[in-house]
Amino acid sequence: MRRFGSSLVLVGLVLLAGCGQVEPLRNARLLQAAELNQRAGEAFRLAEYRLAAKLYERALRIDIALEQVEGIAIDTLNLARVMQVSGNPVRAGQLLDGLLNDTALQYPPVYLARAALQQSMLRLEQDDAAQAAVWVDKAAAFCGNGCADYGVVANVRAMIALQRADAAPALEWSTRAVNANRGVPLEHANALRVQASALLLQAQPEQALRRANEALQIDKALGLPQKIRQDLLLLAQAHAQLGQAGQAAQMRERAARIAATALK
Amino acid sequence: MKLPYQHKLSNIEQRTRRFMLGALALMAAVLILIAFSQNYFSRSTSIYFIASNAQGLNPGMAVKFVGFKVGSVQDIAMEPNATVRVRLSLNNEYVHLIGQDARARLIKEALVGESVVEIIPGSAQVRQVTEGSVLEFERGQDAGTVMESLAAQLQPILQDIHQFTATLNQPDGDVQRTLKNLNQATGAMRGMVDQFTRLGASGNQKLEGTFLKLDQALDRANSSLGELDKAIPQLVQKADATLANVHDASNLIRQAVQDSAGEIPLLVHDTHGLVQDGQRTLDGMQQSWPLNRMMPKTEPRMLPADGFVISPEQP
Repeated sequence: MRRFGSSLVLVGLVLLAGCGQVEPLRNARLLQAAELNQRAGEAFRLAEYRLAAKLYERALRIDIALEQVEGIAIDTLNLARVMQVSGNPVRAGQLLDGLLNDTALQYPPVYLARAALQQSMLRLEQDDAAQAAVWVDKAAAFCGNGCADYGVVANVRAMIALQRADAAPALEWSTRAVNANRGVPLEHANALRVQASALLLQAQPEQALRRANEALQIDKALGLPQKIRQDLLLLAQAHAQLGQAGQAAQMRERAARIAATALK
Repeated sequence: MKLPYQHKLSNIEQRTRRFMLGALALMAAVLILIAFSQNYFSRSTSIYFIASNAQGLNPGMAVKFVGFKVGSVQDIAMEPNATVRVRLSLNNEYVHLIGQDARARLIKEALVGESVVEIIPGSAQVRQVTEGSVLEFERGQDAGTVMESLAAQLQPILQDIHQFTATLNQPDGDVQRTLKNLNQATGAMRGMVDQFTRLGASGNQKLEGTFLKLDQALDRANSSLGELDKAIPQLVQKADATLANVHDASNLIRQAVQDSAGEIPLLVHDTHGLVQDGQRTLDGMQQSWPLNRMMPKTEPRMLPADGFVISPEQP
């Protein structure tokens, strides 16, 4: 009975201590930078890229002024991403170079890995598979073992192989990416899409059809019009390879309707 | 020699006595504190004011003078003539500051806050209030009343403007008809000028006919201008009436703003303070356990990686 009483008192004391626990205060500027970052993230998700860029720029200015290394890395990467998707690859490249070649500040490798990955994707966009491969190798080196971005690295490697029309490594890397990205719907759908393309290169349209359909379901759930359109185009190719011209045309029509909305 | 149970019994008795004494001491302390807060230990002077109704007045309400609490409302009672007699208890320490010509005003300290009776100082030369003095009473305007009054003044103006615009837009109205006629007349004149030019080139053969048409067109323009002449005074009259209303309303608004000018900055200041206090309380709560575990953290976040490239040639 006495032990029970002491336990109760102990629990009470722990709860009281908990009540007294107050988070360490962050200064108002830091909070402002974090808020700007989050508002920019919301704008990016709604494809309002101009607003997102403006907000990330403001957040970055504060980060630089306060020498917040992590904040600088995060907001620079995010801003580069916004520039990339809004059709300004040159500015995106400059931002990433600034991060990768900074000699004054030391950034954690996780951010450098992401910067190298984004560089690789920029090169892929410009059909420069050789440079994309160089950058993805750098990203893998920064990433190390058990890196959170391993699935993305695998995806990019698969896409490089696809661009070289190298079906076997494309399929191999995309299969690794599918397995590595099971818990990340966006990357899982990306990997399935790349895998479907690799399967089409290997003339396996039934398998490709299945993968593209899986990717379509995920992209619809995530609400990504551009990706949905890519899935439909892949489905059209798969149907065409199967000799189902009618269904292929149907898929292309569906993809065209999405393109007409010009939503990203 | 005491038996063990007797010893125990006396022990319990002692403890009970100590507990009871402690409880009594605590009660006494609480009573003293209450008495202090109710100013039972300070000397006070009772003064009165007469209000037409008791709306917004409550016993215990604070009485303030230049922002300091100087007393409280002690009692509210209805008089035989259906007016309300309100007794204020003023702390003697402040009585010498309040003249006989001071006024009592019922105000709200903030947009959302308690009402208080504010003593508006009178002139310094007049004798100070004494026991049983009666002050003049008035009700202060709160933000809601000011807004209502503004809205009431603006309504007729908006109606007038609406009516004026409707008159202008009426397809069969004077203005529209006149404009239409003028438009036709201008068209006819343009045609005439063309014809005139052509005629000049072909040797003025149809000059007479053209002059006739020109005459007719000028007649029509003349009659249109006549209609416009008739319509304009009516429009000017309406515009005059509208402007007069605007003038009246702006006078009333100026008056209303002047009446409440002293209170609005105070009101805004207090409201600002209230909002800041609320914000600080919320911030504090958000940072404390366990709420800090439930709230989303404001930290910079990296956008999720997207390892898929859509090449520019397939947008």
